[in-house]
Amino acid sequence: MDTSNPAVFVNGELLPKFIGKKVRTVVQVNKCDGVVSAAKSTDDQELTVNGLPQVPLMNFVEVIGIAETNHSINAEIWTDFGTTFDTNSYNQLCQLANGEFRNLFL
Amino acid sequence: MFSGSQFDATTAFSGGGFMASQSTNLNDSSPSAAKSRETQGLIPVTVKQISEASHSGDEKSNFVINGIDVNNVTLVGMMFEKAERTTDVNFVLDDGTGRIKCRRWVNEAFDTKEMEEVQDGMYVRVYGHLKSFQGVKQLVVFSVRPVTNFDEISFHFIDCIHNHLHTKVKAEGITPANPSSGSSLITPVKNASNGSQEPSSNPGYAQYSVDGLKDCDKLVMDYLQQHSDMSDERGIHVNELSRELKLPMDKIMLSLKTLGDDGLVYSTIDDYHYKQA
Repeated sequence: MDTSNPAVFVNGELLPKFIGKKVRTVVQVNKCDGVVSAAKSTDDQELTVNGLPQVPLMNFVEVIGIAETNHSINAEIWTDFGTTFDTNSYNQLCQLANGEFRNLFL
Repeated sequence: MFSGSQFDATTAFSGGGFMASQSTNLNDSSPSAAKSRETQGLIPVTVKQISEASHSGDEKSNFVINGIDVNNVTLVGMMFEKAERTTDVNFVLDDGTGRIKCRRWVNEAFDTKEMEEVQDGMYVRVYGHLKSFQGVKQLVVFSVRPVTNFDEISFHFIDCIHNHLHTKVKAEGITPANPSSGSSLITPVKNASNGSQEPSSNPGYAQYSVDGLKDCDKLVMDYLQQHSDMSDERGIHVNELSRELKLPMDKIMLSLKTLGDDGLVYSTIDDYHYKQA
């Protein structure tokens, strides 16, 4: 059992609270050159993801990595979630996981 | 798959034998015993919740989350460090809140096949039994399936929150206890197997009530009513009924039999003449 290194559920708004820490988020990729990707968070903010390989544009991708700045993440692990994903539910989950039910996650 | 009230988790996955928790539950006052029993099924949890679960009693497999006995749990996370051996497959499940060691015994071809379909880095849904081994909590899992719709990840964590809220509300007694909820799933099944004769007798009974007469019975009744003549003791002949109502004789006879059994009509000079009662 090891809970020392959690990956926090974040959206664009919550990302700045975790700079230097491990986070997980789902983004829709707009631009992707194999090194730096531009993507939209579940709360419609523009984020930059470093280290994301080529993925089909407009696909939803989960990124787990270190929050670098207020708007960028260094990806360590990524999972292609495909073309359909319920961003609204995920966004609300991010808020609950950092709010009222934080003790279930962190 | 496994619902809390239908599946007795303790007996199915404890490896048999005497369970301390069951005996204490029986001795407890009824409300707490009912409460812990109801939530004993399969509970969605995060690794963080498991890490905070406290041991109850001396048994290796008794844990308490939110004051509720927990045996079987379900988690969604990424699989890492998968290691296959001849009798079992070990791996680590990372759900983002923490990591927990899992073991899947592979006894049958089905187990082997299911474990071949999941690899490191894949999102999986696991169902397992929470155990403590040499002081370390781990999961003995009996199902590992790849997540194919990634909304299941959001769903799982929302499910964890929901279950947490549900047990919390129960523990604080905000909603009244529902003693029938546990048995309600079983009762209809019982009735169906015991009362197989009820469905056939029920429609029959409905026929005999005056309001619920069948179409044909109603026509015969109406005709007899309209053509009743106190001075004519013979009543109406069945041929007349058949001719006037334009119905086959066997239907007329059946209706008359039905109505006669119910005391609404009677035969007069012979079996072919009827009058309204």
